Amino acid sequence: MDFLELLNFYVIPGIVIGSIYALGAVGITLIFAILRYAHLAHGDLATLGAFVALAVVSGLGVSPLAALPVAIVATAAVAVGIDKVFYEHLRERPKIVTVMASLGIALMIRSVVQVFWGVDTQTYVRGIVRPEDYFGLRIRDREIYTVLAMLLLVGALQVFLTRSKWGKAMRAMSDNPNLALLSGIDNKKVVVLTWVIAGGLCAAAGFFLGLNTELKSLMGWSMLLPVFAAAILGGVGRVEGAVLGGLIVGVAEELSVLWIPSEYKAGMAFVILLFMLLVRPTGLLRGKVL
Amino acid sequence: MEILGLVNYALFMAIFIAIYALLALGLNIQWGFAGLFNAGIAGFFAVGAYTSAILTSPAAADRIGGFELPFVAGWIGAMCAAALVAWPIGKICLRFRSDYLAIASIGIAEIIRLVIKSEPVLTNGARGISSIPRPAGDLGYMESQAAYLVIVLAVLVAVYFLVERQFNAPWGRMMRAIRDNEPAARAMGKNVEYRRLEAFIFGSALMGLGGALFAHFNRSITPEAIDPMVATFLVWIMLILGGSGNNRGAILGAAVVWIIWSVSEIATDRLPHEYAVQAKYIRLFLIGLMLQLVLRFRPEGLLPEPLRGDRRAAPTERDRS
Amino acid sequence: MTALLAMEEITGGYGDADILLDVSLKVGKDEIVVIVGPNGAGKSTAMKSVFGLLTIRGGRMMFDGDNITGWAPNRIVQRGICYVPQVDNIFREMSIHENLEMGGFLKKGDLSAAFDRVYTLFPDLKERHKTLAGSLSGGQRQMVAIGRALMLDPKLLLLDEPTAGLSPKYMEQIFQICRDVRDTGVAILLVEQHAKQALAFADRGYVLAAGKNRHEGTGADLLADREVAEMFLGG
Repeated sequence: MDFLELLNFYVIPGIVIGSIYALGAVGITLIFAILRYAHLAHGDLATLGAFVALAVVSGLGVSPLAALPVAIVATAAVAVGIDKVFYEHLRERPKIVTVMASLGIALMIRSVVQVFWGVDTQTYVRGIVRPEDYFGLRIRDREIYTVLAMLLLVGALQVFLTRSKWGKAMRAMSDNPNLALLSGIDNKKVVVLTWVIAGGLCAAAGFFLGLNTELKSLMGWSMLLPVFAAAILGGVGRVEGAVLGGLIVGVAEELSVLWIPSEYKAGMAFVILLFMLLVRPTGLLRGKVL
Repeated sequence: MEILGLVNYALFMAIFIAIYALLALGLNIQWGFAGLFNAGIAGFFAVGAYTSAILTSPAAADRIGGFELPFVAGWIGAMCAAALVAWPIGKICLRFRSDYLAIASIGIAEIIRLVIKSEPVLTNGARGISSIPRPAGDLGYMESQAAYLVIVLAVLVAVYFLVERQFNAPWGRMMRAIRDNEPAARAMGKNVEYRRLEAFIFGSALMGLGGALFAHFNRSITPEAIDPMVATFLVWIMLILGGSGNNRGAILGAAVVWIIWSVSEIATDRLPHEYAVQAKYIRLFLIGLMLQLVLRFRPEGLLPEPLRGDRRAAPTERDRS
Repeated sequence: MTALLAMEEITGGYGDADILLDVSLKVGKDEIVVIVGPNGAGKSTAMKSVFGLLTIRGGRMMFDGDNITGWAPNRIVQRGICYVPQVDNIFREMSIHENLEMGGFLKKGDLSAAFDRVYTLFPDLKERHKTLAGSLSGGQRQMVAIGRALMLDPKLLLLDEPTAGLSPKYMEQIFQICRDVRDTGVAILLVEQHAKQALAFADRGYVLAAGKNRHEGTGADLLADREVAEMFLGG
């Protein structure tokens, strides 16, 4: 197999799926670092985002990319709502109770998706999209959109976190919650902001997974493990780490089929997760360990 | 005839409740007493089911197994296999907060699912393993059900007393000390990771046993026999509703939740087909909602954890800082 | 002396147990007051009670004409008291400048005057304002921590063992910083483990033991007191 083939069949798909993981992992890492628990409903929230976009596409007849902003806003609102209704009153209890609640939320979101959209696989657009040829690299438009959108969204998030007052407040809350509270930072606003961002990115992750593959009610749940692996690989609390981790997990999954049966591709994320916990739990970019 | 049907249904339900009660007891050791979050219950269940199936079923072409061992050997094997799967996971994850175990246990359940689907040599793939012998299985239908219920109940009672004794022994005191105030337990020289590992392995072994009991009752096991997320979640809600930290609560929770679950299934099955499918998912939604409500309004469950002599007021966040 | 802060017979603690029993103390404007005492005497607890971090069951807390007993920390900050905890008192993964910015979070409008004030006080920090606070030395971290607390122009600064774990050289530096801060018109109440040095530098001191007032007076008086010396100054 020559180098171009390696790129075309493994690396490029890996980068695309990795970008999708990155979008999910950034949210996971923010929630882990600021709210301090593992949010197990993240995958199913992504599913919801993907199906909201589908509803917009089939309801209004717009192109999928035009539906993305709607899905982002709607999912962000749902995430804030879930937090208000189900997580907020658990804040004084041990964090693991919220982890448990989030497992229940995962089930609830999934069943909502199944009630409204059924369990059959669906797509945003029908038909096969052939890749374009760029100097021997075969890339589909939607793959370019995926990577670009990831870079754009994460870039905007980085600017927000490093330049704006509330972005800095989020970082402060992640860095040292007690001191942030002593400084008068309003925890409630930070929590809402975190959910807006995590929920919006979640919708984007689900949307692009649906755009590049297909939509089904379990699509998000099966993304949960790679997304957590990516967040931990990059270092919990590190946005750029989550992107790096997502890309590595994505490419590793695609490359893994060169050595192991393709049925076990999904196991790569698990291997990476355990390996990191074993040798370097702070992740590549020295994040937190809860 | 109607009465006979009801009796059969009751027997069937009682066997399931007893099996789920075993799972809930296993989870109680992990969560109720050690504070460990296992979200991969279905995985350990499946390992137990398949292990016992391989050990006790008659020989078959194209796959390993068919050792035709007595069912007791299968059940012990199931517990050992589940424990063996739990060991490395616990070893790696129990150094950290339980969030990491939650993620890793979802992962191991996923891997187990993949292995079951992709290794026909071991599991016979999608067709699964059939003709697993059921103890007392050659009696008449109802007698066989009743006999199996007796066996399952005997196992449950034995496990209950074993677990209850452990909890009241110094081991149980130590577990609670670790759960309630880890820094203090550590300072007293307790080997926190090792104790947690014991609890995790012990609990997982019980889940494996539950799987084995299920496989022998069903006489077969296939990848589709249980929905991993639903099974895992049902056990969680059983324990939380029943009262985590209380063994009797775990058993009560298993009974209450399973009865609600089955009766609601009967109800939704009577709906016209187009609604029946949706109703199935609405049931899932409601069971998820039930967890949220219990966590909010009755976090201690129906039967709260008994106040044992060693339990003091739980330390607050501030005291530790 | 009109007291800026008057703690009047405060009784309270965390949870149900009372750690402080009828503790009273005063801090005047432009004063450095130190609380010393043996381990477990309730020194830090006394300071936290000012900031509303524990349950007060008796007595009252007066600040600048207001009864602030039972106020939430948030409100107390805005009223003009800032608190520097003993440990974890900086944002390690944020730059010095961002640390100060977070300190001024509640301030509406322009922060540049506050930045100027802190940077004039700590020229070292101005030079390295882009450095991550976590990479600084112990003494510099304390500067960041104190600087952060000064961003809201407090009238009173609470310092919980600012010299813990620092070498004597740094200790002297921190004390000098305290004097400089005081000279800008901010009163300081601090808790100190190094009783001898602290009493020598502070304007006045209180000795607490077992959650109760034992002695009070100027630093020099207390240092000269035989009972105080025997109690914990090592004779």
